[in-house]
Formats: sequence, C-alpha cells, structure tokens
Amino acid sequence: MKAKHRPPFPWPLLRFWTLRILPAWFLIALMIFLVQLAICGIVHDNERVKAMLQYIDMLGPYIKAFIGGDGLQYGDIAGLIAVGYQDPLVLLLYMLFAVGVPTALLAGEVQRGTMELILSRQTTKTHVYICAGLITVVGMYALVIVMFLGTVVSTNLYDFEQQVPLYNFFKLAVNGGILASAVGGIALLAAACFRRGMAVSITVAYLVVNYFIMIIAQWWPRMKWLDPVTIFNYVDGGKIFSEPGWPMGDMCVLISLLVVSTVLGGVVWWRRDLPL
Amino acid sequence: MKAIEVETLTKCYGSARGVEDLSFGIEKGEIFGYLGPNGSGKTTTIRCLMGLLRPTSGQCCILGRRIIHGKATEHNQIGYLPGEFRAWPGLTPRKLLRLLARLGNGNEVDKQQEELAERLDLDLDRKMRALSKGNRQKVGIIYAFQHQPEVLILDEPTIGLDPLIRQIVLDLIRETAQAGATILLSSHDLSEVAAICGRAAILREGRLVELAPISKIVQQGQRLIKVWFVEGTPVPELLAGELPGVRVIQQNSNTLHVAYQGTIDALLKWLAQYQVDRIATTETSLEDAFIQYYRKEAGHES
Repeated sequence: MKAKHRPPFPWPLLRFWTLRILPAWFLIALMIFLVQLAICGIVHDNERVKAMLQYIDMLGPYIKAFIGGDGLQYGDIAGLIAVGYQDPLVLLLYMLFAVGVPTALLAGEVQRGTMELILSRQTTKTHVYICAGLITVVGMYALVIVMFLGTVVSTNLYDFEQQVPLYNFFKLAVNGGILASAVGGIALLAAACFRRGMAVSITVAYLVVNYFIMIIAQWWPRMKWLDPVTIFNYVDGGKIFSEPGWPMGDMCVLISLLVVSTVLGGVVWWRRDLPL
Repeated sequence: MKAIEVETLTKCYGSARGVEDLSFGIEKGEIFGYLGPNGSGKTTTIRCLMGLLRPTSGQCCILGRRIIHGKATEHNQIGYLPGEFRAWPGLTPRKLLRLLARLGNGNEVDKQQEELAERLDLDLDRKMRALSKGNRQKVGIIYAFQHQPEVLILDEPTIGLDPLIRQIVLDLIRETAQAGATILLSSHDLSEVAAICGRAAILREGRLVELAPISKIVQQGQRLIKVWFVEGTPVPELLAGELPGVRVIQQNSNTLHVAYQGTIDALLKWLAQYQVDRIATTETSLEDAFIQYYRKEAGHES
C-alpha cells in the first residue's frame, strides 16, 4: 500500500480562473471608480447639489429612499458622496460580480463539462470550491478598494467646502466589502446546490427581495420592524459616520452570514453528485 | 494486487438504477474491454472509479487505494478520457493540455505532448472552438496519455476519429499496455475491443452479465455454416431438436444454411451420412456474439 499523500493546492486552476474573471472584474471596477468620480464631481458644486436635490424631492420619497434616503441633504457632503456607495448602479455592479463569478466558476464549469476534466486531475472538490470562494471574496474586496480609491482620488480632484471624512468612507467601504462578500457566499451556496440558471435566479431574487425590504422599511415607518431582516441594514452609513468606532455588531452579522453560507455551500458541494 | 478493483459497486440516482452489485478486477498491464449498450452503466462505473460520483454501496480501488469521492485519489497516476471531451473553447490545445498537466504532477509533459500531437496529426495552436469533433477527440487522447499514467480509463476513445487515426490510437493503447499500463476501455465499437482487449465485461441494465476472455465470449456466440450437397442429392431435413444447439436458418434445393453453438462435431457426424459437395464457415465476430448475448439476456432467442 502506498503512503497517503495530500493532493497539492491547485494554484494553476486559481490562476486560470483569476485570469478568466479579470476582464469582467476590471470593467466593473472601472465603472465603480467612474461613478465615484461622477458623484463627487456633482456634489462638490453647491448649485448642482441644490438642483439635484430639488429634482430628487420632486420624484417623491420612494425614489429618494431608493438612492440614498435621509443622507441626501444639502450641506451634508459626506452623506452626498456616500450616495456613490449605495446607488442602484453601483449595487448592481457588485451584484453582477457576486452572482456571476461563483455561479460561472462552479455551476458554469459543471454545465460546460469542464469540471469533469478539472476533477479528473489531482484536484479535490474542496480545492475547487476554495478557489471559487477565494476569487469571489478577494475580487469583492478589490472592488471595494477601487471604490474607496475613487473617493480618495475625487477628493483630490475637486475642492469641497467641508473636510471629507475619508476614514469614515474607509470604514463604510470595508463594511460594504463584507456585505458584498456575504452576497458572494450566498451565490456560492446557490452555485453548489443548483445548475447555473437556477443559482443565478435564486441569488438575484434574494438580493432584490432584501433591497426592496430595505427601501420599504426606509420609506414606510410602519414597516421599520423589517429593518433587521434585510442584509443591507447591516451597512448603515449614518451610523458609521456618526459613531467613532467600527460597527462591530453589523460586521459580525454579515461575517456570520458569509461563513455560514460558504461553509454550507462547501458541505453541499462536497456531498453532492455533480450533474457531469 | 490488481490495478483496478471494483467490489460490489452499486450506484443509484434516486429511485433510478445506475449500476448494481458490480464486481470485477483488472490485472496490471491488461487491456480490459467494458461493453454495454447506452444506459447500461458504463459511464457510471467509470465516474465512480474516478471519484466523480459517490457510490451508493461498494467500493472501487485503483493501484491498491480505495477511491474516495471528490478526493482525487491516485489521480496523478490515472489518464482519463471522458465519454464526451469538452474543453474551454477559447484555449488552444497546447494551453489546455499544459493547464491540465499542471493540475497534477505533470509539469514535464511538453515533449510527450508534442510527440503525441505529431503522431495524431494535430495542430496544438488552433483554438478549441475552431477544431472539428475528431480533432477535439485527439486533444482528449493526448490529455489522457500525456503524463504517462499507470492506469488509463478511456470512455469511447475512438469516437469521431477517421479510420487511420483510429488505428494509431489503438496502436498507442497497445504500446502503452506493453509498457506496463493498465487500460480500461469502454466502447461501443466491438471490433476495436476484439482487436486489442484480452478480456471484457458485458453490462446490461447496470448488471454484469459476462466477464470473460474475448475468445470465450466470441465462442459463446452462434457460428454459421453453409453446406452444398452434391447435385441431384436431396437436401436432408434436420428436425428441430435432433442436434442440440443446431438450427436451420435457410434450406434451398441443394444448400443448407445452419447456425450452431459449441463444437461442430455432432453436425459434421450428421452431415457425414450424406453426399456433401463443400462446406463454408464464417468467423463469428464479437459483434455477433454481443448481439446474440443481448437477445439471449432479453429473452429474444428463437
């Protein structure tokens, strides 16, 4: 009997997948960066801010809640810049990455038939799952860093009447990164359980439901009790800007969601017969 | 120690059966044919052997190590060609093969890759999406052989290949076995199994119905004999059951076409009573034996 040996970690697979994802990541990162520049370009000019806020007020409280809620106030530069962190376009871009990457890497490879090739080499199912998880989580954090860099660059490009609290934006970005990673965890779980189309649908449905719960809870005071139900509640810009410390409670909730969904996905992936 | 061992393997997909209570072993250096019609469980067995499926019960061992689902057990020693070789369309065969080699211990496969590509007449630098089905299959063959594995599991290796390349692949399989590798060859092409395999297993509806040397399987099939009687001699009538295992297929004015199983001795003794002009026999192919086997198993034998 030969001595047992552990298969080495599949770095070539990690590299290959990273290179495949990189163009999409780069495009998403560029768009997020440009959105930050655009938002700062608007909010550094008082006249433009007034016009923008008047226009948003005309659209009604629902739309206002949709693009920033109470943060949209004249004179609150930080709140206005933070719109760039939570406006629907930016969230959509994050969603694209969070949903697209794990489903493309796990369920997508299974459906293409290439997973059979990967697993026929010295690559365990756990290794494959870890590679997909790493690319998702690291990619998300890299996007968050790009978003923060967008704010940093913008504050150097434009003059603001008030000091822009970059440290608070950094806290917001880190918290946002954990939120995005948690969504990635949900997508990993879905990709481990279902075929690609179903995995994408489930994750998008989960996000859309959470997003609308957040909007409804912000817009309709009687539904405020729904706040803890939505994952978006755990990235509270107002709290991050007003309190000096880190929002440890919120971060723990999101990290728990990330860990539970990722581990559960890993167990399902390991146990499940892949539809090769 | 057998190179490949399958012990009481059962795999069910929910209520549907994949394979049931399958047991066989393959010796080192053997080329073993794995036969069966579509849906008989060949690919299920192979995927259990590769650790891609979790057996419902039983176990598989390769080179003495038990295969654990998803653990890539001994995969550096296995060359695998899936039934349908599908790859990333944007890669060239060279990049694809290098990537797959590096997912094991096969960093030094470039020379072997080039040699195989030359032998199979394959351009390694065209994108996979631009390759024909046959050329993609050639990439699959190089993938299976490039790291010189001790065990090769080949699911329909010659599908889509032209006769010339098919012959080269069969030669490659023979040479690899002569060099000491063990080969499990699943195929629908019975002539190629007959040409290169020493033994074969026949599967039907997930169960092993035969496991024997090819020559024995062929012997079990019916053989045909055509007898011409001397002009003017009446053709004798062979009554049903008169000679066990012999039946008349066709009778004309001076010829008798007969199928028989087992030895020809009794038939020759019976014919010796008459004036026979000449006799012609046809070699039974594995295909005939296989078809008859299925008819027999399915209860269709007349």
